[in-house]
Amino acid sequence: MNNLRNFCIIAHIDHGKSTLADRILELSGMVRKTSMDQMLDSMELERERGITIKAKSVRIPYKTRDGGEYILNLIDTPGHVDFNYEVSRSLMACEGAVLLVDATQGVEAQTIANANLALDAGLKIIPVINKIDLSNAMVDDCSLQLYSMLGLSIEDILLVSAKDGSGVAELLETIVERVPPPSGSADAPLKCLIFDSFYDAYRGVIPHLRVFAGSLKAGDKILLKSTEKIYEVEEVGYFSLGLAQCPVLQAGEVGYVVALIRNAGEIHVGDTVVSSDHPEEAAVPGFRMAQSMVYCGVYPIITSDYGKLGAALEKFKLNDSSIVFEKENSAALGFGYRMGFLGMLHMEIALERLRREYEQDIIATMPSVIYKVFCKNGDILMLDNPSKFPLEGQVEHIEEPIIRTRIIVPSTHVGPCMELAEAKRGALVGIEHPDDRRAILIYDLPLADMITDFYDRLKSVSRGYASMDYELNGYRAGDLVKVDIIVNNGIVDALSYIAPKEGAAARGRALIHKLSKTIPKHLFKIPLQAAIGAQVIAREDIFPRRKDVLAKCYGGDITRKRKLLEKQKEGKKKMKMVGFVEVPQEAFLSLMKIDD
Amino acid sequence: MQGLYIHIPFCVSKCYYCDFYSEAGKLHLLGDYLNALLMEAGQYRGPGFDTHVIARPKAAAICPEAGQYRGPGFDTLYIGGGTPSLLGAAGLEQLMNGLAGCFDLTKLHEATVEANPDTANSEFLDAAVGCGISRLSIGVQSLNDDELAKSGRLHNAGQALAAIAKARDCGFEDISADIIVGLPGQTPGSLENTLCGLLHSAVTHISAYCLSVEPGSEFARHTPPGLPDDDAQAGLFELAARYLKENGFVHYEISNFAVPGNECLHNLNYWRGGEYLGLGPGAASHIQGKRFKNAACLDKYIDNPVAIDKEEETLDAAHKSAEEAMLRLRLLQEGLDLAGLSARYGQANMGRLSDRLNKLAGQKMLLKAGHKYRLPPDMVLTSNQVFRQVIN
Repeated sequence: MNNLRNFCIIAHIDHGKSTLADRILELSGMVRKTSMDQMLDSMELERERGITIKAKSVRIPYKTRDGGEYILNLIDTPGHVDFNYEVSRSLMACEGAVLLVDATQGVEAQTIANANLALDAGLKIIPVINKIDLSNAMVDDCSLQLYSMLGLSIEDILLVSAKDGSGVAELLETIVERVPPPSGSADAPLKCLIFDSFYDAYRGVIPHLRVFAGSLKAGDKILLKSTEKIYEVEEVGYFSLGLAQCPVLQAGEVGYVVALIRNAGEIHVGDTVVSSDHPEEAAVPGFRMAQSMVYCGVYPIITSDYGKLGAALEKFKLNDSSIVFEKENSAALGFGYRMGFLGMLHMEIALERLRREYEQDIIATMPSVIYKVFCKNGDILMLDNPSKFPLEGQVEHIEEPIIRTRIIVPSTHVGPCMELAEAKRGALVGIEHPDDRRAILIYDLPLADMITDFYDRLKSVSRGYASMDYELNGYRAGDLVKVDIIVNNGIVDALSYIAPKEGAAARGRALIHKLSKTIPKHLFKIPLQAAIGAQVIAREDIFPRRKDVLAKCYGGDITRKRKLLEKQKEGKKKMKMVGFVEVPQEAFLSLMKIDD
Repeated sequence: MQGLYIHIPFCVSKCYYCDFYSEAGKLHLLGDYLNALLMEAGQYRGPGFDTHVIARPKAAAICPEAGQYRGPGFDTLYIGGGTPSLLGAAGLEQLMNGLAGCFDLTKLHEATVEANPDTANSEFLDAAVGCGISRLSIGVQSLNDDELAKSGRLHNAGQALAAIAKARDCGFEDISADIIVGLPGQTPGSLENTLCGLLHSAVTHISAYCLSVEPGSEFARHTPPGLPDDDAQAGLFELAARYLKENGFVHYEISNFAVPGNECLHNLNYWRGGEYLGLGPGAASHIQGKRFKNAACLDKYIDNPVAIDKEEETLDAAHKSAEEAMLRLRLLQEGLDLAGLSARYGQANMGRLSDRLNKLAGQKMLLKAGHKYRLPPDMVLTSNQVFRQVIN
C-alpha cells in the first residue's frame, strides 16, 4: 500500500486538465505520444464540448527517478458546477489533488470551489500553474493569487506546460513525494465508496469504487448502505485504458466491481459498500441522493412516439442515474415526461444525448425550478411545472429557490457584472478584493434567473473574464405570477412560465414578439397573447401566409419539384402540432433568449 | 401524348434571377453542341427508322391521357433554353433536319421554339416557320425598361413588342410571352402596363412565373433593392390573374394563361404525367415510368453526349400515382380524375391517396365533384399546402 498514490486533477473549465492527463499517460508509457487526444474524455459530446461529464479513473504504473515502483491512480473529475456533488465524491477517493491553474487566466471561481472541496476532504494539494509556454502567461500573478486567495505556499507551486510536456515529469515525482499513501487495513471489514458508475449492456451497472478497508474479490457478498440491497461479486478489476480484471481489490485501491446490478437506480454515487457479513460498518459520511435543480417537459414530436420515448428514458437512466423523469400530460402537447436535471449544463447534455444516442425526436419545454407554493387553504405545494400552478386567487404567496453565487471578475468589469446581477434580482452579499486587480462578488439570486441566460450574459458583459460558481442557498419569497401564453385562442400550457410581477408585461411583450417571428405563417391569422390570469398583457398577430407555391419555371424537371415538396414536408415534421398551429421546437425555448 | 424537348444551353449573358442551366460566353461551341445533340438523339432512334419529311403541325384537341412510349415519334416538340434564338437560322435548320433524321416528326401537333427579343430577328423567325415551328415563346419578362435593366435583361420593352410583331409578320399565329411577377421595382401599375401591352400585341398565351431568389443566381449574391416580398408578390400575381381573366384568358395551370384553344400542349403533357424525351445537358426525360435527367455540364456533354451522367428515379405505384395527382391538380380547370388515375395504377396500388384527397376536400382545400378534384381558385398561391399532403 505504501507504493500507492490516489490523486485527482481539479481545475476551472478549460484550464488544461484533460491535456495534462494525456501527458501523464504518455509519460508513464501507457499510451504512445500523440496517439489520441484527451484519452479520458471518451464520450462524443465530451469531446465536442471540451468538458468532462463523467468522472473516470485510470491506474498508472510509474517508476521514479530513484528506481522506486509505484502505482498512481488518476481519478478524473467533472469540471462543471452542475456536477459539484460528483466532484466531491471523487475527491473522497483520493489522498491528493493537483490544483491546476491556467497561467493566462489565473485563479477562477471553480478553482476556488474545487480547492475548497479538496481541502474539506482533507486532501494534500499540489498547486500547479499550466500553460507557462504561452507568451501571455502571468506566472507571478497566478502564484500570488494561489497564495492570497487559497493560502497555498508559493514555494510549493510547480510550473508545467501540459501542451509541450515540460514540467510534467517533475510533477509525477512530486505526486509520489507529497501525496500520502492510503491508510486502512486490508484485514478490517470491507468499506468502499462508490464515486462513479457506468452501464454495460451485458453486465449491468458497474460501480467505480475506492476501497478504504478490507478487500473485495469475486464470490464476496456485498451490501449497499443506502438501499441495504445485497449482491454477489462476479468480477473485480481496475481501470487501465479499459477494464482490467484482477483477483482482488484491497484497502487503498481504486477499481470496479461487476455484481449483476440491473437497475441503475440502485447505485448512487457516494453510497458505501460493505460486506454483507458486516452490515453494521458505518457509511462514509456525506452521502446524499442526486438532487434535481432544473426541470423541463420532454415530449415526442409525433404524439404516438410516446411509448418509444419512455423506453429510451428507461435506458438512458441506466446510463445516467442522476436524471429523474415521470409521466406528464399537457393539454397542448399530449403525453410526455417531466425530467429533472442537476443543472442547466446537465440538462443540455442530457437532451442532446437523448436526441443523438437514443434517436428521439423531442421538444423540450422551458426549464423551470421547484417553486414552493403556499396556498390560502394551508397547503404547501412543491411545483416544478408552471402549468400545474393553482389559480391565482388560491395562492397565498410563492417562494423560489435561491443560489449563492461567487463571481470572480477583473476590477475593471465589476460595474457591468453588478448591473447584470441586480437586473437578475440578485442581492449583494459581499465583495472581496483578493488582490488589486480582481474582485469577488457574492450574490444571492433566484435560481430561475440564473438558469435562463445569466452565465452567457455574465461572460458577455465581462468580455469573457468573469467566472462563477454557485450553491443552493434556501428559498425566498418572491412577488411572482404565472404568465400564460395563448396561441390561436388556446392556452398552451407548455409555454406557461413563472415570472416576477415587476416587468412581467415587458417580458411578455418581448416573448410574444419572439414567438411571432418563430412560428411560421399559416393559411389563417394566428393571434398570440400573453396573459396573467384573465388580464392580457401582450398581443401580436401572425398574418396569414399568402404565397406558398411552386410557380417558377421548372420545365420537365418534375423530380426536382416533388423533392422540394418532400423537403418542405420533412421540415414540417420537426414541428409540433398545437391545435391547428405548427409550432417549431425553438418556440418552446423562446423565453430563454430574450434580451430584456 | 409524347413530347420531345431540346435544350439549348447558351446565353449571351446570365439574367440575374436565372438558375436554369445555361452558359454565357461559350457561343463558339454551338456547332460542336449541335453535333453532340444529334448524336444523343441518334441513341433513341428506332430500328429501321428513316428520314421523314417534316409536315406543318396541325391543331389538335387536347388529349388528356398519357400514352405509352411508342418509339421515336412525337406529338409535341419544344426547343427551350437558354436562348434557342442564338441558334440562328442555319443552326435551327440543321437541328430540325437532324432531328427529322432520327424521329418521326410528321405527326407533330405543336412545335415551339423559345426566343429572346434581342435575338429573334426576321431571318431566324422565317427559318423557324419554314422548318415547321408552329409556336413561338418569347421571353418578354416585363414591358418596363427599369425592371428589365435591374434583372440583367439585354433588351427593352420596345424590342420585345417589335419581336412579337415581327413574329406575326413571319406567320406565327400562336405566340406566348413569359413574364415574371415580383421583379425588383415592380408595382401593380407597372405589372398592369406589361399585361396591357402584351394583350395589345395579341399574344395568345402568357406564362406568369413568380420570381424566387435561387441559390447560384446573381440575385442570391446581391439582393437587389425594391424586391417585392412574398405578400407583395402574391398581390401582384392575383392582379395579373384577375386582369388576364377579364380579358378572355383561361388560367389553366398555376403559372399559365391562354386564350382558349391556345394552351401549350407540350407543357400540358408534363402536368398530365405524360412521357417525354429531353435532349441536352440538364434536360429531363420521363419514359416508361422512369424519370431521368442529364448532368448539367456542357463540356462533358460535347465531349461524349452518350456517356453523360444521368440522375434516375423510378417510383413505386403509390408514389408515382401521388406524383401524378399532384401534377394534375396544377391544372386548374381540368383537375384530377381519380377514376382515370385508378384505372392506370390500380386502386390497390395507390396506397391511401384517395383518403388524403378526400380529407383535403373535407377541409375545403380541394373542390370535389364526383371523382374529379380541383384546386379551389383561392388556393392557387398556397397550393404547396395541398401538394405536400397529396404526395406521401
